Amino acid sequence: MGLATKANAEAKPISKVVVVGGGTAGWMAAAALVSLLPGAFTLTLVESEAIGIVGVGEATLPHIRAFNERLGIDEAEFMSATRGTFKLGIEFADWGAIGDSYIHPFGTFGHGGADVNFHQYWLRLKQAAIPVPKLDTVSMGVMVARGSRFSRPDSDPQSIASTFGYAYQFDATLYAPFLRSLAERRGATRIEGKIVGVERLADGDIRAVVMEDGTLVEGDLFIDCSGFRSLLLGETLDEPFEDWSQWLPCDRAVAVPCRTGGEITPYTSAIAMPAGWRWRIPLQHRTGNGYVYSSAHLSDDEARRALLAAIEGEPLAEPRMLRFKAGRRRRSWVRNCIGIGLASGFLEPLESTSIYLVQAGITALVELFPDGRDSRVDRDEFNRLIDMEYDRIRDFLILHYHATTRSDSPFWDQMRTMTVPETLAEKMELFRRRGRVVKYREGVFLDASWVAVYLGQGVIPEGHDLRADAPPAEAVVRAIDSLAHEIDTRVNAMPSHADYIARHCAMRDAA
Amino acid sequence: MSARPIASVAIAGGGIAGYAAAVALRKRMPKVTVSIIDTPPPADSMIDAVGAMLPSARGFHGDVGIPEVELIQKLGASMRLGTQFVGWADRRADYVHAYGDYGQPFGGASFHLHWVRAMLQGMAPAPFDAYSAAAMMGRGGRFVPPPDGDQHPLGGYEYGLHIDPIRYRGMLRGYAAHLGVSRYDGSVVAVHLDPADGRISGVALADGTTLSADLYIDATGPARTLHRALGTGFEEWSRWLFVDRFLVGTVPPTGEPPVLDRIAAHPAGWLWSGGSLTGMQHGFAYASAAVGDGKAARILRGATTLDTDAPPATLAPGRLVDPWVRNCVAIGDAAVTCEPLEFTGLHLVHSAIDRIAAKLPGTDFSRVELWDYNREANAEVDRVRDFLIAHYATAARPNDPLWRAAALAALPDSLSHTLSLFAERGRLPVYEEETFSRHSWAAILLGQGLIPRRADGLAVAVPAQHAGAAMTRLRDQIAAAVAQLPPSGAYLRHILDGARR
Repeated sequence: MGLATKANAEAKPISKVVVVGGGTAGWMAAAALVSLLPGAFTLTLVESEAIGIVGVGEATLPHIRAFNERLGIDEAEFMSATRGTFKLGIEFADWGAIGDSYIHPFGTFGHGGADVNFHQYWLRLKQAAIPVPKLDTVSMGVMVARGSRFSRPDSDPQSIASTFGYAYQFDATLYAPFLRSLAERRGATRIEGKIVGVERLADGDIRAVVMEDGTLVEGDLFIDCSGFRSLLLGETLDEPFEDWSQWLPCDRAVAVPCRTGGEITPYTSAIAMPAGWRWRIPLQHRTGNGYVYSSAHLSDDEARRALLAAIEGEPLAEPRMLRFKAGRRRRSWVRNCIGIGLASGFLEPLESTSIYLVQAGITALVELFPDGRDSRVDRDEFNRLIDMEYDRIRDFLILHYHATTRSDSPFWDQMRTMTVPETLAEKMELFRRRGRVVKYREGVFLDASWVAVYLGQGVIPEGHDLRADAPPAEAVVRAIDSLAHEIDTRVNAMPSHADYIARHCAMRDAA
Repeated sequence: MSARPIASVAIAGGGIAGYAAAVALRKRMPKVTVSIIDTPPPADSMIDAVGAMLPSARGFHGDVGIPEVELIQKLGASMRLGTQFVGWADRRADYVHAYGDYGQPFGGASFHLHWVRAMLQGMAPAPFDAYSAAAMMGRGGRFVPPPDGDQHPLGGYEYGLHIDPIRYRGMLRGYAAHLGVSRYDGSVVAVHLDPADGRISGVALADGTTLSADLYIDATGPARTLHRALGTGFEEWSRWLFVDRFLVGTVPPTGEPPVLDRIAAHPAGWLWSGGSLTGMQHGFAYASAAVGDGKAARILRGATTLDTDAPPATLAPGRLVDPWVRNCVAIGDAAVTCEPLEFTGLHLVHSAIDRIAAKLPGTDFSRVELWDYNREANAEVDRVRDFLIAHYATAARPNDPLWRAAALAALPDSLSHTLSLFAERGRLPVYEEETFSRHSWAAILLGQGLIPRRADGLAVAVPAQHAGAAMTRLRDQIAAAVAQLPPSGAYLRHILDGARR
C-alpha cells in the first residue's frame, strides 16, 4: 500500500525522559508517565526550589477526576492533602451586564441526551410568551451549586441526580508535592538545581540540560514544564508564539489569598471588573482571589488596590503579580521536546482550563509515546490534538468577553466591539438564529456549556428548533414544572457543601 | 425576528429515500405539510436495489413508529450481524466486520492494541474477529438480540436488517399516506427558478401540475434533477473507487437467511450475497474497464443460482459539493453515490433526514444555517468514503492490476492520516460525524492484514502473560457462549409464531 511506514532504521530509542520544571505541570507529567508506562524508560525531573510555581489556588474541570483515578489516587486523601473543595461549575457575575449572574454548570439543562436539547422547549415557550421559570431551575448542577450543597452524582443514568458532574478547587502548591511523593515512590528521580544551559546534538535535538554546578542531565526525550519561560520549546528551539492578545488582551494578574468571609461555595466565581475579571476560589482553609486585567487599561497599582478592596476577608499574604500573553506555541512538540502547560501556551483561567490543558498534553503524550527521537507520526498527531484543544477553548473564552452590553469602561467597549475569529462569529450567529450549538466531536466544552454562556450573557435566539413544537405547549409547561420540582426536592435533601467536606475529606490541620 | 419558519416541504422522488423523509418529517414536525412526487425509483438507485441495512435503520424505525416485529412478520425481514469479507487480503483468512465490540479495553489500552502487541511479539493470538461475540455469532449462524444493559460479558453489539427493498418501499409508501403526506404521480419535467434569488419557485410535473413549497428535497437518485437545475457541483471519487457497475438480482430463499452478508473480492470488483426470509440477493459490483456487462452477468450467474437478464446499474461515485443549496436539500443517491460495499446508502439517508429535522432553517435559508448543515453532512459522507476506500487501499491482491492500482492511489488526507497513524502503532483518530466505530475500523484494517509497525506503550505496560491470559479467557468465553446460542432461524420462528397466535 502507498503508505509511508518506513521502519525506524535509526530508532534512537527513548530510554531516558527528562522533565524540566516541577510545579503542577511537571509533577503531573512525571506521575502519569511513571505510573502508566512503567519500566519503559527512566524519568528524571529537574526543578529548583528557588523558582516559584505559578499555581495560585486552582479551579479545575471534571476531567481531573479521571486523571487522578487513573493514577490510583484516593479522592478523600487527595482533597484532604490539597485542602480541596468540590466544584459544580463557575458563577459568572457582571459579564453580560452589571448585575447579571449565571452559573455555567458541569452538567445539562433538563435530562440531557435527548434528540432535541431541553433549552429548545424552553425557547419555544418563551417565544410564545408563555410564562416559564428560569432555565436554571431545570439544571441539577446549577441548583445544587446555588444551594451550596453537595453530594456525589447518582450512578443511575435515568436519575436526574446523574446529570451533573464535579471537579475540585484546591491549593496547587500542595498538589505538586502530593504528586511528587507518588511519582518518586514509583521510580521518578528528582534533581534539585537551576538549569543554566542546554546542549544540542549535531542533528539539532536536545541532548542535555546543564545544571548550575556544571553537571549534565542527559535525555532522549525532554518534557518542557518550565512554565511561562518555555526554556526548551521557546528559548532553545525557538518555536514561534502565536499571539492571541488581539482577542484576549488581559496580560497581567494580581493574586492574593484571604480568609473566607462568606460561604465555602461549591463553585468558582468569575466576577467581571472594569478592565478584566476577578476570580474567587474557595478552599477549605482560605479563599484564593485574583484580578486578571489588561495592562493597557489598568495600572498594576490600581489592580492591586481594586483586588484588595474587593476581597471578602483579611488578606493572608502579599499580593503576587503575574505577567502572561494569551496564545500558544505554533507546535507543542518539536524535535525531541514536548511542551506541557504554560511552556506550550497560555489561556487565562476564566474557564479553569489550565490544568485541563496540562492533562490533555499528558494524555496525548502517553497515548502517542514515541519509540524513537524522530517519530514524526506521533508528533504530528500530538500537535494536531493539542492545537484543536487550544483553538476551541480560545473561541469559548472570547465569547465571554464579546457577548456583553457593558459600556462602562474603555476595556469593555473594546471587547464588545472587537472583530472575533470567524469560527466564533459563525457559532454565535447560529445560536442567535434558533438556539443551535455547533457540534464538535472532540473539544472540552459541550452543548450545555455554550448554552449556559450564550443565554447567561444575553445571546438570545430569535427562533427555535421546530421539533420542539411537536408536544402540546401545556405538556411542555407541565414537564418543566415537574422537573424543576423534582430537582428542588433532591437539592433540599442534600447536605451542605461544608458539611459534606467535614464528613468525608476534611484537611488534617488548619493552616 | 428571523424569517417565517418552513411550513411546507416537497419531496421529489418516490423511492425509499423520499418516503423515509416523508414519514420522518411528518412524525417529527407535525405542523409542516409534506408532499411527495411519487416517481418510481430509477434502476441506478442503490438504496432501492440493496436490502441490507445497518443497525441505524432500527433506530429510525423506532423513532418513526415502525415496529420491527411487523417488518419480520409482514415483510419477511431478517437480522444481520455484519459482513464476511472473503479474498480481500491475499492468502489471509476471510474476516468478519460485525457491528459490535471487538474485545474490551484493559490496562488503559483498547483491546485491538493488545491484539497487535500479541501479534508483534509472537504470542500467536486468534484471528481478531474471534474476540467479537457478534462476529462469532455470525460465523456460527446464531442469533439472539443484544441483552439490555451494557454489562454483558460478551461485549455489546447491534444488528441490522435485511428486507426486500420493493416490499420495504411499499410499506413506507402506505405509512406516508396514513400520516397525511400528499402524493403526486409522475415525475419532474421542469424546475422553475426564481430569477431574483435563484431559489426553486416550483417544480412542474408531466401532467401540467406545478408544485410549490418552502423547502424542496431532492430524492431523485443519481439524476439529481433538482440540483442539476441549481447547477450544484459534484465531487467525483472514481480515482479511489473503481467500481462503476452494479448488477443485482433476487432468488427464492433456500433455508434460513444468513446473518452475515458475504462479500468476495473478484479481479474486477466484488460479489455479494445476502438475504431475508423472502429471498437471497446476489450482486456483482465491478469496474466496466475490467469486464464487459455480458461477461459480468455470466460471472454472477456462474457464482450463484441467479438467472437475470436485467442490465447493470451504472454508478458514478461521489457527492454533491454541498447537499443543501438555497431552498433545496438532496438525500440518498442524489446527495452521495457509492457502491454498497458497507451498506451505507440507507444509513446516510436516515442520517440526512435527522439532520434536516435538527437543523431546519427559516425560510430565509441563512448562510450560516446551511453552512452548519453542509459542514456536518460533508464530514459524515467523507468519512464513509474513507472507510470504503480503506478496504481497497489496504487490500492485498497483487495479481489483479485493478486492485494493485487502487492500493497505490494517493489517498484523501483524512484517510492517509488515519492509515499512517494506524500503521505506526494501531492508533485510530476519530473524525467529526464518524459513522463507523473504532471497532469497525480495527476489524477491517486488522482483518485485511494491516499490522501496525510497533506495539503501543500502554499495551506493553501490561505484562505479556497477563495480557495473553486475558485474551485467551475472552476468546474462550465467547466461543463457549456462542456455542450455547440457538441458530438464527429459531429467533425468526419465535417472532413469526407470535404473529400466528
